[in-house]
Amino acid sequence: MNSIIEVTNLSKSYGVLEVIKNVSFKVYEGETVGLLGENGAGKTTTVECILGTERFDSGKVKILGLDPSKNRKELFERVGVQFQESGYQSNIKVEELCQQARSLYKKSADYAKLLEKFGLLEKRKTYVEKLSGGQVQRLFIVLALISNPEVLFLDELTTGLDILAREDVWSYLESIKTKTTILMTSHYLDEIKQLCDRILVLDKGKIAFNGTVLDCIKASPYETFEDAYLWYIKKGRVK
Amino acid sequence: MKILKTLFATEAKLSLRGMDMLIFAIIIPIIVTIIIGLIYRGAPAYPGASFTFIEQSFGAIAAISICAGGVMGLPLIIADYRQKKILKRFKVTPISPIVIIFTQLLIYFAYSIVSLLLTYAVITKMFSGSFSGSILGFMLSYMLVLVAMFSIGVMVGGIASDSKTAGIISSLLYFPMLIFSGATLPYEIMPQSMQRVVNVLPLTQGIKLLKASSLGTGVDNVIESLISLVLLSLLCYTIAIKYFRWE
Repeated sequence: MNSIIEVTNLSKSYGVLEVIKNVSFKVYEGETVGLLGENGAGKTTTVECILGTERFDSGKVKILGLDPSKNRKELFERVGVQFQESGYQSNIKVEELCQQARSLYKKSADYAKLLEKFGLLEKRKTYVEKLSGGQVQRLFIVLALISNPEVLFLDELTTGLDILAREDVWSYLESIKTKTTILMTSHYLDEIKQLCDRILVLDKGKIAFNGTVLDCIKASPYETFEDAYLWYIKKGRVK
Repeated sequence: MKILKTLFATEAKLSLRGMDMLIFAIIIPIIVTIIIGLIYRGAPAYPGASFTFIEQSFGAIAAISICAGGVMGLPLIIADYRQKKILKRFKVTPISPIVIIFTQLLIYFAYSIVSLLLTYAVITKMFSGSFSGSILGFMLSYMLVLVAMFSIGVMVGGIASDSKTAGIISSLLYFPMLIFSGATLPYEIMPQSMQRVVNVLPLTQGIKLLKASSLGTGVDNVIESLISLVLLSLLCYTIAIKYFRWE
């Protein structure tokens, strides 16, 4: 299988604080990989180092065989990103934000269809400021999908969404899963179980586990994913 | 080019919805023109002058919107887009965040040009003024003043730690220049001691250049202004490029 995302010996510190320690992993074509870990485990920093929005101290990153800092223009035609925190211009309407995002790419998806899938079509003339938190979150997923990306980065995908909206987002992602490679971070184990082919558990900047959800359970003394996950995290603390 | 067109159209719409630049860069210069015009009517700039007071003021009023866009509009929008992580979002698209900043420069340039034309229209139609300088000379001076004032904005917006700081610095630069550089309160009616003090403001130098070129009074007297604006631009753009914070 083709590896789409390749991270080799990635390290990053803020001053004396080591946030990522020698992290290496690959994500293969068509795979959905979940990055898990406690708050402050380094999930977002890892994603941002991969994307080149954060500088890292050492290591190598390749997406689609390209260097994100050197081949930016070429690479980001094919990559979609949803950041954990993102903002928008004052006085902008939903449709205007979509049109602006669409204009940045050579080829793009029909944003009206995407808005419809995420329950935002009737809001297209609404000011983004007037949307609820969950609606803004869904809008940013639409923006990440607007380029029909081959690779998708989703940071805290459904944080702030209600159960129904989460299910809608999940079912959409399942529909594009096979033709899109996805790296996502999440706090929700049910979401990870539902969507991810493989998980990476990040603990204090190191990869504590790399494998499927089933492997994760098998390698622990427990029966459920929740218990097994906690066991991995706590194991790290005892050391 | 198509991308720039779309970005310009959207961002200009957002800017107009915000109203503040419409007021500070378009309406205020018109009001100032009308007030000065009504006060001085067709009076000469000084006894024996070959041009009227309002004609002399054209170069000064033309600087109001450049100042509003460069020193107020630009730093605020750059700091705001950084704080809202809009610049960061552009970093993960094929288009560099520099393009969105360049779009803003174009928008403030457009405000300035519209204001320039309106000011000219009011002076010629309402107060029968005319333009006696060199059009090319005026255009070059105008571009230099614009480049210099925008350099301040790009620098302040680029290095201010957040929107609030950018707002404070902008106000500290904008209001003194609006009132004391001669843009609104005519430089000629200030006492000499005050003129010496306000000469340190970059816009005062810019206005001297604009006046000299619009009145055709020669470049010799304003060489210092010209050099100081070139140096200021170089300094500000260098600092901006070196220390710009994208996040």
